[in-house]
Amino acid sequence: MISVLSTNILSPLGASTEQNYRAVKEGRSLLEVHQDERGVPGSFVASLFSDEQIDALNVEGFTRFESLVIRSVQDALSKTDIDPASDRLIFILSTTKADIEELAAVESEDKNYSSPGRAAGKVAEYFGFVNTPVVVCNACISGVSAQMTALRLMNQGLYDHAVVCGADCQSSFVISGFSSFKALSPEPCRPFDIDRMGLNIGEAAATIVFSAKTSEGAWRLIQGSLTNDAYHVSAPSPSGEGSILAIKDALCGVDVNSLSCVSVHGTATMFNDQMESMAIQATGLSEVPLSTLKGYYGHTMGAAGVLECILTMCAVDEGLLPACRGFEEIGVSGKVDIVGESRPVSGESFLKMISGFGGCNGALIYSKGEISEKPAYKGGSATVSHHIFMDSKSVVLDGESLEVKGTGKEMLSQIYKSYIGDYPKFHKMDALGKVVCMASELLLRKENAAPDASRAVILFNNSSSIVADRAHIACICDMENYYPSPSTFLYTLPNIAAGEIAIRHGYKAETSLYILDRKDQKLMDAIVESSMRESSAGSVITGWVDCKAEDEFEVELSILNK
Amino acid sequence: MEELIRDLKEQIIDALNLEEITPEDIEDNAPLFGDGLGLDSIDALELIVILDKYYGIKLANPAQGKEIFKSVAAIAEYVAKNRTK
Repeated sequence: MISVLSTNILSPLGASTEQNYRAVKEGRSLLEVHQDERGVPGSFVASLFSDEQIDALNVEGFTRFESLVIRSVQDALSKTDIDPASDRLIFILSTTKADIEELAAVESEDKNYSSPGRAAGKVAEYFGFVNTPVVVCNACISGVSAQMTALRLMNQGLYDHAVVCGADCQSSFVISGFSSFKALSPEPCRPFDIDRMGLNIGEAAATIVFSAKTSEGAWRLIQGSLTNDAYHVSAPSPSGEGSILAIKDALCGVDVNSLSCVSVHGTATMFNDQMESMAIQATGLSEVPLSTLKGYYGHTMGAAGVLECILTMCAVDEGLLPACRGFEEIGVSGKVDIVGESRPVSGESFLKMISGFGGCNGALIYSKGEISEKPAYKGGSATVSHHIFMDSKSVVLDGESLEVKGTGKEMLSQIYKSYIGDYPKFHKMDALGKVVCMASELLLRKENAAPDASRAVILFNNSSSIVADRAHIACICDMENYYPSPSTFLYTLPNIAAGEIAIRHGYKAETSLYILDRKDQKLMDAIVESSMRESSAGSVITGWVDCKAEDEFEVELSILNK
Repeated sequence: MEELIRDLKEQIIDALNLEEITPEDIEDNAPLFGDGLGLDSIDALELIVILDKYYGIKLANPAQGKEIFKSVAAIAEYVAKNRTK
């Protein structure tokens, strides 16, 4: 377990955790109708920073996104006395699209685009952090994933402190994408309500500084779990299977009656809330008060998992759960106890749950009181059983060159026709998805074993989903020809590549994608090894999967068995 | 109507990346979802984009798609009645 040293929330509602908690307690929200703003034609409802706030937050020499991260991290760090230059500190950034609004702007001017990895690198340089920063890019569950990464690395004794920041800025990129999924509510969202019509977008940054040392009375992140539904890339399993697996794993050894509340994802889409209600009922949590904060902030993407943990700590500290804003009448079939009006609550621990595109699910247990930790997993180092290297002109499988025809995109098509041929979904994938799919298929043909449902998929890269990002921008940059495509947008979440492998082969353990400013093998090994030691996953497909253009890629994947 | 059906088939193949399918493979009245072409929920959303992009039809509620997207013939019928471009 690791303990919380300090926190910050920076949102349109305030610049500190205290200001934000006060706003929520008073029932305030800045979910408002915006008309023809941020490059989006028509109206949408969102919680956005005002122009004045954006100007005031700006840090000279940094982008809007980087400035937001810097301000949030700065406030959290200022309440501690830790040395930012310590080599025992790791900076973990949770974001879905980071500076993506810059991409369209700089393309025309041929300037450098600050990729998520570079943005994290610039923030690290600003504070003098010495270790390679880690970007967790796991769609909506990123904020919970990032906390799991911190927990595992610190449980392995690798760091004394972790600065975990979740942040996203909103622009036409994400708003148009969710709009093409018909996922946006035209009104302030209504989580779990019978009349819910979808989610609202929000922007925020939230930071938790963790210490490996536990101190009396401090909030502690006890344990958690990450899983995949292995069901569909953009729809949750209707039974909530992946979420159930994550909750059961996270709850192991915890008395559910001791939980103050469950902080759900509660996006207010039809599918998410229904699925979560099924998972809550199936895991015996129907009597535990259920809290959702989307009615105050909307969906803050990379910030959500961090922000919602912090505010739930505040609420449990005070013994008063805020009302589920927007909720009036129950509209889910699983038995749940929604906090319709703010209510007193006892206890000193809570469960955070979250789910996202790519089929990923996460669950965390926080406590500040007595709680029994689950027994440690049977660790042991994982060993490599098979390995593949693939770039745009060659493939080397277990040390032997594979004869290939053509290069780049053409080479991938040839591999598909020669070795797979019966998976038409391949043609629907973006460049990164195709590269990862073909490399993993060749690897698995070599392994030639029955699928291991307890297998994880942990991928790393530098270019995020740049090819899909450019394709999506091409769909929305011209107002006369503005037709955002849901399938193009989907692949701008690079973790989809990991989710595709899980879905094809029925892998139900963690699926993750990390973006690094530079390929740091030692750090990648530490992340994978700590995941293997700290989870019930029996094996993992892992490695570097970078795709800069349709014809420019480099992949190195291995299968590791415990 | 025949020309519209032909256009729709090409637009569907292109938008949904149905690489191994030709317009001749798609029967006018065959179901597009489930057994037929095996399309899924994202494909249904892409069909909504096709209606907007080529025919100026804005479908706000994806649930309407259930009836409209039964088959290519059903889409053609809906488009013929409702197109604005």
